[in-house]
Parts: sequence; C-alpha cells; structure tokens
Amino acid sequence: MRNKKLVNYAKFGYLFSIPFILAFCVFTLYPVIYTFIIGFTDLKGAGNTEWHFLPQVGKNLFVNFKDVLTSGSFQKAFKNTVIIWIMNFIPQIGFALLFTAWFTDRRSKVKGQGIFKILFYMPNIITAATLAILFNVMFGYPKGPVNDILIGVSKFFGVERKAYNFNANEWPVKIIIAFIQFYQWYGHTMVNLIAGVIGISPEVFEAAEIDGANRVQTFFLVTIPCIRQIMLFVLVTSLIGGLNMFDVPQLYIGTNANNAGLTTNMYIRNQAFSGSYLYNRAAAASVILFIVIVVLSSVLFYILRDKDEAKLKKLRKQELRAARKGL
Amino acid sequence: MKKVIASALSVAMVAAIAAGCTTPTPTDAPDGTTAAGSDVVETTAGGDGETEATEATSGAVETTIGTGSEVINLWTFTEEVPGMVQYYVNNIDPDFGTKYTVKCTYINGAENYQPAVDAALVAGGDSAPDLYCAEADYILKYTQGDMSRFAATYKSLGIDVDSKISAAEIAQYTVDIGSRDGEVVALGYQATGGAMIYRASIAEEVFGSSEPADIEAIVGAGSGNWDKFWEAAATLKEKGYSVVSGSGDMWNVCKNAGQPWIVDGNLTIAPEREAFLDIAKKLKDEDLSNNAPGWDTAWYNDMMGVGDRGVFCFFGPAWLINYVMVRDGQKAAGEGTFGDWRVCTPPVGFFWGGTWLMAREGTTKAEGVAKIIEWVTLDTSETGLQYLWANDKMGNNAKDTVASAVVMAKSDGSLEFCGGQNIFPTFIAGNSNASGKGMTQYDATINNYFTDAANQYAEGNLDRDAALETFKANVSDNLSF
Amino acid sequence: MSDNAIKQSSIKKNDVGLKVVIYIVAIFFSIMTLFPFVMMLANCFKSSDEVQQSAITFWSADPIGNFQKNWTFIMSKEFKPQIGFVNSFIVATCSTLLNVYFSSLTAYAISAYEWKLREAFNGMIMAIMMIPGTVTTIGFYQMVYKLGMVNKLSILIIPSIAAPMTVFFMRQYLQASLSMEIVQSARIDGAGEFRIFNQIVIPLMKPAIATQAIFAYVGSWNNLFMPLILLTDKDKRTLPVMVSLLTNDSYRTEFGAVYVGLFITVLPLIVVYAFLSKFIVEGVALGGVKS
Repeated sequence: MRNKKLVNYAKFGYLFSIPFILAFCVFTLYPVIYTFIIGFTDLKGAGNTEWHFLPQVGKNLFVNFKDVLTSGSFQKAFKNTVIIWIMNFIPQIGFALLFTAWFTDRRSKVKGQGIFKILFYMPNIITAATLAILFNVMFGYPKGPVNDILIGVSKFFGVERKAYNFNANEWPVKIIIAFIQFYQWYGHTMVNLIAGVIGISPEVFEAAEIDGANRVQTFFLVTIPCIRQIMLFVLVTSLIGGLNMFDVPQLYIGTNANNAGLTTNMYIRNQAFSGSYLYNRAAAASVILFIVIVVLSSVLFYILRDKDEAKLKKLRKQELRAARKGL
Repeated sequence: MKKVIASALSVAMVAAIAAGCTTPTPTDAPDGTTAAGSDVVETTAGGDGETEATEATSGAVETTIGTGSEVINLWTFTEEVPGMVQYYVNNIDPDFGTKYTVKCTYINGAENYQPAVDAALVAGGDSAPDLYCAEADYILKYTQGDMSRFAATYKSLGIDVDSKISAAEIAQYTVDIGSRDGEVVALGYQATGGAMIYRASIAEEVFGSSEPADIEAIVGAGSGNWDKFWEAAATLKEKGYSVVSGSGDMWNVCKNAGQPWIVDGNLTIAPEREAFLDIAKKLKDEDLSNNAPGWDTAWYNDMMGVGDRGVFCFFGPAWLINYVMVRDGQKAAGEGTFGDWRVCTPPVGFFWGGTWLMAREGTTKAEGVAKIIEWVTLDTSETGLQYLWANDKMGNNAKDTVASAVVMAKSDGSLEFCGGQNIFPTFIAGNSNASGKGMTQYDATINNYFTDAANQYAEGNLDRDAALETFKANVSDNLSF
Repeated sequence: MSDNAIKQSSIKKNDVGLKVVIYIVAIFFSIMTLFPFVMMLANCFKSSDEVQQSAITFWSADPIGNFQKNWTFIMSKEFKPQIGFVNSFIVATCSTLLNVYFSSLTAYAISAYEWKLREAFNGMIMAIMMIPGTVTTIGFYQMVYKLGMVNKLSILIIPSIAAPMTVFFMRQYLQASLSMEIVQSARIDGAGEFRIFNQIVIPLMKPAIATQAIFAYVGSWNNLFMPLILLTDKDKRTLPVMVSLLTNDSYRTEFGAVYVGLFITVLPLIVVYAFLSKFIVEGVALGGVKS
C-alpha cells in the first residue's frame, strides 16, 4: 500500500524539476564544462579560439594546476580571502544573531523594530561597486575625509600629524574590505535569521517559558536549534560568498598595496584579463577554488546535519530493504 | 508610516523621471556661440580629450549619426570620436549622412572596453565594429599584438597612405605604433609629445624669472637626466613649494623610455624605468611633492593652486592643459590659476597618450570608413579635422597638438590659459621624443605592478630589492613572463 | 503569589536596562547604515568643487543651483535614466519572478516527493551553488556571442530559472515548515499536484518568497559586469551600467553629477524594498500547521 503511493507521486518530483534542469544545462552547464576542460589545455591569447590538450603539445596534463598552486600570487590571494572572510564573518554573524535575538524577543517588544530592520538591510541594496569606490575616496591620501578628520582631531589635541596612507598598507586595506563586506551583509543575514525565527511555532516558546527558561537560555537552547536549517543556509552562502569575494576588493584596491586585497576570484580574473589572457590558468584556478568550496561546505553540512533525521533516514532505508526482500 | 515613506519616495522618483523627460537645451546662449554650450555641457577631460560637439546640436552626442541605409558601427571609449563624426556629417559632408548611418557604441574604462570590443571583433557579423579606437595604453595589442589580425590596412581601404603621410608630415611615432609589419593599420590624430608645464608666478618668486628659456636652463631641459631638476626642487622646497604634485607625474615621463618591458619573451627592466624607484623614494623621503596620485582630488587641487603646498610644475602633452588643467573653477581669466602657466622643454623627453583609429578587416563599408579615417588623420586642409582640432574650431575651447606637422606649422597655439604663450613649438619639439619602441601590449598591467612596487618602496613597506622581486613575481604570475 | 510579583518587577527592571542597551546599539548601527546614503544625497547638492574640497560635510553654498546644474549635466550626457530604469525594471522583475517561482517549484520537488534521484539532484544543486562566478562568466559570454543573443534583455532573464541559492533556501525553509498532512488532505479532496503547489504550498512560503524576492531583485538590479559586456546597445542598458559608465570615466570632473546618478540608481531599490519589507516583518503564523 505504501509503495504504491510513493511511486504514484514520485514522477512529480522529476516533473517539477525539469525547468530548473533545462535552464541549468543550457546556461550554466555548457560554460562550466567548457571552462573545466580549458584547464587542461593551452588556450590563451586574446580572441583565440583554438586550443590543444596539453599532452598534445608535449606538456604534463596538470601543468596549469601546478603553476597556479605554486604561484605566490595565488597563495597570497587564498590567504587574503580566508583572512578577510573571517574578519568579516565573525562580527557579521555575531551582530546578526544579537539583533535577531533582540528583535524577535517575545517578552519585550522593541519599539520601532520594523524601521531598524529596514535600515539594517539597506546597505545590501547599494551596488558593491558604489560602496567600494566611496570607501576608496573616504580613505584617500593625501586628501580624504578620514584623513581630514584624523588631522583635525589630532590638531585639537595639539599633535601635528601627517595624513596616513590607508590604501597603501597591508592591514588597513584588509580591515577596510572586511568592514565593507560586513556592512553590506549583516542586515541581510539578520533578515534571513529573523525569517527563520518567525517560522518557529509559538507553542515551542510557550513551553520553554512554562519551564522557566530565561531569555538567554531560550535563545541558545530553543531558538537557535530550531533555526538550524536557516543557520546552515546562512553559513554556507556566506562561506561561498566570502570565498568568491570580487566586487568590493577589485574596485576598492585592485592589485595595489602589494596585493593586500587580492582575493582568489581577482586572481582568476587577472589571469584571464591582465594582458596575456591565460584562460587555461584561469580555468585551472577556478577548478581548484571550486574543489575548496565543495570540501569546506561538505564539512559544514556534516557538522550541522540533523542527526535525528539522518538516523530516521537510515531506519527507513532498512525498512524498505526488508520490505522488498519480504515481498 | 512605512507606507507614507514609500509613497513619498515613489512620488519623488516619478517626478524626477518625468522631469528628466524634457530634453535639455543649453541655457540661453548669446548668438549661439559655441562657448555658451560649455556652460551646460562641460568639456570633461579625456585621456586624449573628451568633447561634445556643441556647434550644431543641443549638447549630447547622438548614438546614431546620419540617416543612410548603410550602417557603420563605431566602437570607442569616449565621446571624442563620435563628436568628430557628428561634426563631419553636420558641417563637412552632409551627403555622407544621407548615405550612411554611424552607430556609436562606447564603453568607458579600459578594463571594460577591451573585453567587449575583443568579443565583438571575434564574433564578427553585422554587429561587429567597422571602425574602432584604441588608446596609447593598449594600442599595440590591436596593431601589433594579439588582436592585430582584425585591423585592415589603410591601403586596402583605398587610402593612399604612403604619399599622404609624407605630404602631411605625420609624426613618425604615430605611424610606427600604427603599423603592422610595415603596413599602416592605424593612425592617431593627436601628437602627444610632452612638455614641462610650470607656474609662472612661482617661477618668478623662487627663480627670479618666468621666461621659458631661463627655466629650461635651471632645470636642465633636454639634458636627459634629472640632476639640475633635483637642485631646483631643493630650492623650491626651501621656499615652501613642492616641485611636482606626486610621483605619478614623473612616472609619465619615465614610462615609455628605453627598452620595452618584454624583450624576446623575457621581462627586462630598462634602467630609465628602474630609476623611477629612486625618484619615488626621493620625492617621499625629502618631502618634495604633495604625494598626490594622478587623477585624484588632491592632484586636481594642485592644478588649481589650492593643494597643501603650491606645486611648481606638471608634465604632460597639450591635452593635459586643454582638457584637464582647464577645469571648472579656472576656465576664464581671473579664476584659479588661469593664465599663470607656461610651457618649456622638460629635462627628459617623453610622450603620453593618444587615440588611434582602426578599421576592421573585412568590413563591407570600406568606402565610408575610409572617408572618416582620412578626414580625421590625414586631411591637412582647413576643413580637415586636424586643423579644426588645433585651432579651436570645433567648440571645445581647446587647441590641441595634432599629428600632422604641416597643420601644426600653419596653426596658432597661443593659449590664454598659458598667458598667451604659443605652446605649439615646445610640444612639436617634444614629439621628437615620442617613439613606440619602448611599448608592449602588456604595458597597462606591467606599469600598474611597477608603480605599485615603487609606491611600496617609497612608503617604506618594502626595501628596494624586495620591491623589484615582488614586481617580477607579479608579472610572472599574471602574465607568464 | 508574592514570589511571582517580585519576579515580575525584577524582570521589568532588567527589561528597562536591556532596552536601553538595545536602543543605543541599534541607533548607532542605524546611523552607520544611513551615513553613506545621506552622504550621497548631500553630495548631489554640491558643486564639483565643493565635493572635491570635502566630501562628507552636508553644507553647500548653493544647494538648489548646484542640484540643477548637476541634474542638467547628467541628463545632457548619454545618461538617460528613463531607458535605464525601464530596462532594469524589466530585467529585475522578470528574473525575480522566474527565480522565485521555479526555485520554489524545484525545492518542493525535492522536499515533498520521494524519488530515486532526489538526493543526487539535491547534491548537484549544492555543487552548482559552489561554482565560482568566474568559471561561468568566461564561457557564458563567449556562448552568448556565438548564439547572437547579444543586446537582448532575455539573455539576462531566462538563466534565472536555475537559481541554486534560492532553491537551497526554499528547501531549508520547507524542511522546517512544511507538513505533508496538509498536502495529503488536499489530495484526498481530489486536487492535482500542480494545483496543490500553486494554491497551498506557495501561500505557505510567503515569508521565504518575500525574502528571496528582495534578494533576487537587488541582485539582479545591481548586476554590473554581465550587462556591461552583453548589453552594449545604448537603448538596452540597465541603470547601474549607465551610472558605472559615468563613474568609470577616469576623467570625470563633475563629481556632483555623478552622485546624482548614483542616487537615482539606488532610489528605485529603496522603494521596492520599502514595499516588500512589510511582508517579512509580518510573517505568516505557521503555528497553525505545525501542531
């Protein structure tokens, strides 16, 4: 009886997925496969469309990959990407959770939440390009708003100071980029988390209240576990977004400041568009980046998996197998 | 409350758009003189001068010029060339406009323009460019490098290049850069030999004279080295002036000098360019400049004389004066530093910038394209673009130096901005320094890495050897040399 | 009883302290958030000189006059916000609709039905999500040029049918909030699967849809690189592309006008966001289904 029902509706699973698959195959799959293949060829040069697999021209198949992994720029880009992402993500998730806790608190309504929520999301609306350029101008040297303030405030305290070249030094550049990312995304993260919390049944909270849980306990022991799925979403998308960081560092600093703000995606783009059009190396680097993302995401998925659900699935599978054998 | 805000915003937005629907006309211009157009339509600075043809139209450059049945696709990165074409159709050859329609596509920013035009050329077909432009920074890629196979030789377009070039006495470096295996595929309309552009008032105060000949002696003009220049810089500093605005100004002088960056597939650092490391360091350590990066607010402020310290000189071709230094706030006598500038030969000769025109190999509108190219680059008559460009006849309020020596000889380069000095002779002399031999198609990227390394050295973040090592590593990693 | 009363009053005291902290922090963040917007707006009313001199003050010698000058300048160049706005609007709206609808459909397919390839498909969607943008860009626009689809708005719209991030979010949401009972009761009532999806599941997903709609809209609106390369025809350009061409002009001298352009780009987004945000704030009482 159960088997029949499952089979009946399963076909809708396939049916409903078809539009997605079609669009994906045409618009994503072809370019992706093309790029992946190129990683193993010698395609380079502007406007070039002819290429050969590397063994055909007497080179090792993986020579592009080797070049990328041993290149100082790639290593620096990767390090930068990770560092900047961590500097951006920790405050981001911290404040997002904090505001989520405050704004979804059932016991004390914060007046004007609506307006705060709207405001916090707004930075996400500005094009990353605009923000990056704005910040570049703000930290301009020798003349820029921040430097003006710095000099002015120092004068007030009787100290003579010269302007500081923020945009040319390693750590200021990284911190500023991390800040811009944080600024753009903390509201977005907060909105996602709140949407998740709204979906939690109020009965759960009532039960917690009856049990005498205070605010902090409620938040950490009830709310967060219930929005596990959304948290997973937030973590994974932030990880992917972070490792793919491009717009902001590219437009804020580019390759200046001795590659202080160079991220992996910028490295890839530079391979492809700096002048030598090394499409093959760019493709190889993309593949490497892809593998890294997959590995890290899998780790996240594993850590945050729903252990009960997994057990349930296992049980069901066993049942099905037994049932089939029985039949 | 939210609804109120949202509705108010949407009303504001609709009103704004509606207001924008009315086509703007220049504010009431007395006698339709071209000068009035510049009130509304600024002559913004262009790498080689960006202008609007304000003569006959209401200010904006049309995307589509002409009404003919044959379509010529023009791709470029500023409004300059479309403005020229528009002028041509409106004033020189209206028949052209009835036979052809010129569709202009322009994409600002070299990083954006190049991939787009490359893709369009490779794709071919009807929407491919028939006529396209490139700047000095990357022209070699299109005339001698990876994309050169798409450029048609001027000869194949029906232009009698060789005799016309010698008749017009086109600056040799323009021809060299625009030639592929000895055949001309591109020509520029400007000549961008550089000069030293200095403030007369500062010269008077510090050196006692503002005459070009005197200043040339003081800075060691034409000597090929910076020794006397540094002495002058020290004197200026004592009196409380910076010699240049920033190290970038001096980079422009060094950057095309000596051997090219890539020789036989290897990265070579010409001594003239390596010297820039020390120049940048010296400027920073001895506090001889205002540390302003080029094209930055502080740089413009220095041009207007309102920077941290007065700046003595800038280095650049005529377009720097016409399209950058003449800016909002000093466009007329009495404003800013208007009238206070003079030009003289620099210590080290150089050239900077320029735009070249190319036709696509296989274009079906060869005749039309050839007409435009000829008018812009080879026509030495008084209706040719070069003459109009050099004598401020197109309403740009600028007199630029052009490639044809014949035209320059019969043009008058007296500029009020330079206190009435005729700037042409100095710049013509500067052209002899121009040579494409130090250029490669990778210059844009390599120059960027090099100047950044120099900056890091000047800031003290890297020592000299480390800076060079970083530079070489970057070039190797990203360009594979 | 009195115990409770004491507890209540001490809770109230804590409440006040906490609330003060909350307000201080929230207001600080609000100021920080608004600062660039206000700065942009203030700079619209400054002349180029004033912007150069000091970009973060709000004072200007002649606000109205400067604004008029800036406005006229922007309009007189090739910047035609009407066209840009219409194009942006078409692309963003259509791609958001396609994105959200088909993602919900796909997520429903993964969550509600048991079919053999389900896990594999799910995994594939995750994998697609992790592909760095640059991987597809290079191949994508070569393909577009080959297909001759340059300068067609549809090339920016149709690919949004496959939006793995949205699918991911919808799936997480459905897993947490979809109960099959409601679907089963509808089936018993004789409703077809597609109808069930449209009439029952979609209303259920309103907060998720609203949230993702905003993200998709903003993302599509602000998308810069692809339209820049693929829509070179003046009449097909989207608004951010037009503004970026202004700001990209390294020789820009009209800073005030550039800010006007930037602000024009942001304004529609703010309006759309203001309208949609109330859906997120309201939320749906899912409690009714979850018991």
